[in-house]
Amino acid sequence: MGIIDTSVIKKALDEKLNARLKMYLKICSRCGLCADTCHFYLAHDRDPKQVPAFKVRPLLELVKRKGEVDEAFMKNMYEVAYGDCTMCRRCSLYCPFGIDMASMIGFMRTLCVGQGMVPDALQTSIDSYWEFGNQMSVSDEDWLDTVQWMEEELQEELPGATIPVDKKGAEFMYTVNAREPKFYPMDIQQAARIFHVAGADWTVPSKPGWDSTNLAMFAGDIKAATHVGNLTKQAAIELGVKKVVITECGHAFRNVKYESPVWLGEDHPFEVIHSVELFADYLRTGRIKIIEQGIKEPATYQDPCNVSRNGGCAEEARYLMETICADFRPMTPSGNYNFCCSGGGGAIPMGPPFRHRRITAGKVKAEQIRKTGAKIVVTPCHNCYDQIKDLGAVYELDYKVVNFKELINEILIIPDELKAPEEEGDE
Amino acid sequence: MSAFGDFVEGPLLWIAWIVFIVGSLGRLALFFAVAGKRDKPIFHFFNLKYVILTWLRYLFPFNQTVAKSPVFSLLGYAFHFCLIFVPIFIIEHVMYWEEETRFGWSWWSMPDTWAYYMTLVVIVIGVVFFIRRLVLPHVRIISTFSDFLVIVVTILPFLTGWLSVNFAGSAFLDAIHIRLLHILSGELMLILIPFTKLSHFLLFFPSRMVISIEWGRRGYSA
Repeated sequence: MGIIDTSVIKKALDEKLNARLKMYLKICSRCGLCADTCHFYLAHDRDPKQVPAFKVRPLLELVKRKGEVDEAFMKNMYEVAYGDCTMCRRCSLYCPFGIDMASMIGFMRTLCVGQGMVPDALQTSIDSYWEFGNQMSVSDEDWLDTVQWMEEELQEELPGATIPVDKKGAEFMYTVNAREPKFYPMDIQQAARIFHVAGADWTVPSKPGWDSTNLAMFAGDIKAATHVGNLTKQAAIELGVKKVVITECGHAFRNVKYESPVWLGEDHPFEVIHSVELFADYLRTGRIKIIEQGIKEPATYQDPCNVSRNGGCAEEARYLMETICADFRPMTPSGNYNFCCSGGGGAIPMGPPFRHRRITAGKVKAEQIRKTGAKIVVTPCHNCYDQIKDLGAVYELDYKVVNFKELINEILIIPDELKAPEEEGDE
Repeated sequence: MSAFGDFVEGPLLWIAWIVFIVGSLGRLALFFAVAGKRDKPIFHFFNLKYVILTWLRYLFPFNQTVAKSPVFSLLGYAFHFCLIFVPIFIIEHVMYWEEETRFGWSWWSMPDTWAYYMTLVVIVIGVVFFIRRLVLPHVRIISTFSDFLVIVVTILPFLTGWLSVNFAGSAFLDAIHIRLLHILSGELMLILIPFTKLSHFLLFFPSRMVISIEWGRRGYSA
């Protein structure tokens, strides 16, 4: 980290300090109602420095000084913006003025990016997006190889199943988190199994755009974020699909459905649907059938911030839980008001230097889970998945973490005509 | 004091009202002027249903903030209700508008006992807010000098008004020109509104509008 280039800061203030941000800086009445809404504040034994209205102070200070700030100032802003907030927006649900503090933290991150101050691991993923079009440096070849491998395996069980690649005019284009081809290819197979039983008309793109996550979004690198958002959009347009379905991932949904239309300046010419919505639709309409409430162990649901509060899928998720689980125990609070697990906003991808802080702040989530007595935590988000696994280990809680695909596949009723014929000698 | 008194009740009163009205409307206009250029999503995703719902939820105590923090929230509602309705409907002000101004405006005035207790509500809760801000760590850390100042500035017109009405004829109060102090402190508050967080009385509307549009995009009202 070198000398601060204040001209870059001033340019950002001139061009990007919009009416909302200016209003928020003015209207905060310092009432303190945001304090106990924040999992960081609660987890840090109500440390006043974790009050959301306090955490956005560096921005107020910077604006007052018209951008004339030094290295120490920016270093503090960096620590607060990346380490003390996951931009979950829970505070905005309670602020009497509805101040969007996450957008102020986001702007602080953008100012840090302008000085080359980004957590290393996030920068690596941003570089990967520019070079490979996905966050995990998966080559197009490896992507297609993985898809093909999963298809072949699936066909051993369901001969007619396919994972169509570049099928023009399909009803929907399915996008994944780059972690899936890299580390969890079974996720892709599980989705394909469900889609086959549902008789879905779908495809995946061969070119970049298949990874709909957008870590640049939470890094505060809007230029990169716009590019990444556009990859998925262009892939969908080229394939002429009506809908883009997002895997069980929060950031990806937020990126494609809500944020990229804003950066790109126009609505997408297609609908965007999260897996939760799709599965709920399949179950409601009977396109897939499951053993009703076939999951018997006590289960709770983690509302990912970008799927419930900032996604709008809380009701569908609740329906899924009630339909799939015999013993569903919602957390308190749940739905749109649920707490962030503290793994989002880029926290997990930020890697080891930030791990301790997300684990500490995750104490609130761990406590919520403990209170339910659940043995299964269901979450349709890759970040929540990782974070809640880590929390279980650190806070010594005995549960397993799953996503909906896993559970649905466990109790999916597959019509006989789809299955492979049994070989001679089988029971 | 008479020339000064004339000034306070005359030109200064005009100035105070003009600064208040022009300053407040100006702040609102500034928001929309900048928003038109840099905040296009507000207009693109605008949804009147969610905007009206959120205003109603928060103008009245039917929201999750009250559920979470009922004591402080309800004190706030009581404070603001009395703050707004006493100056508008207290008989001394209604008479003033009717008799002293050329506009001849007149409307219903509240019974004296209502004004008596409602004014006390403003003063007492104002003092509670001041102490709360000093004593609670999570509020103290975010407080500025202005936060304490505006509580004092807000209490003063109510305190001086209450004293001047309920202790009329007191030699001490006459000596300190309590009525003049009342008008001056009211003018001070009016003038400070556009330049401090007191402008929240107006900015409440665009601010809640913006967040309701965000939640509205997700299909729920909050």
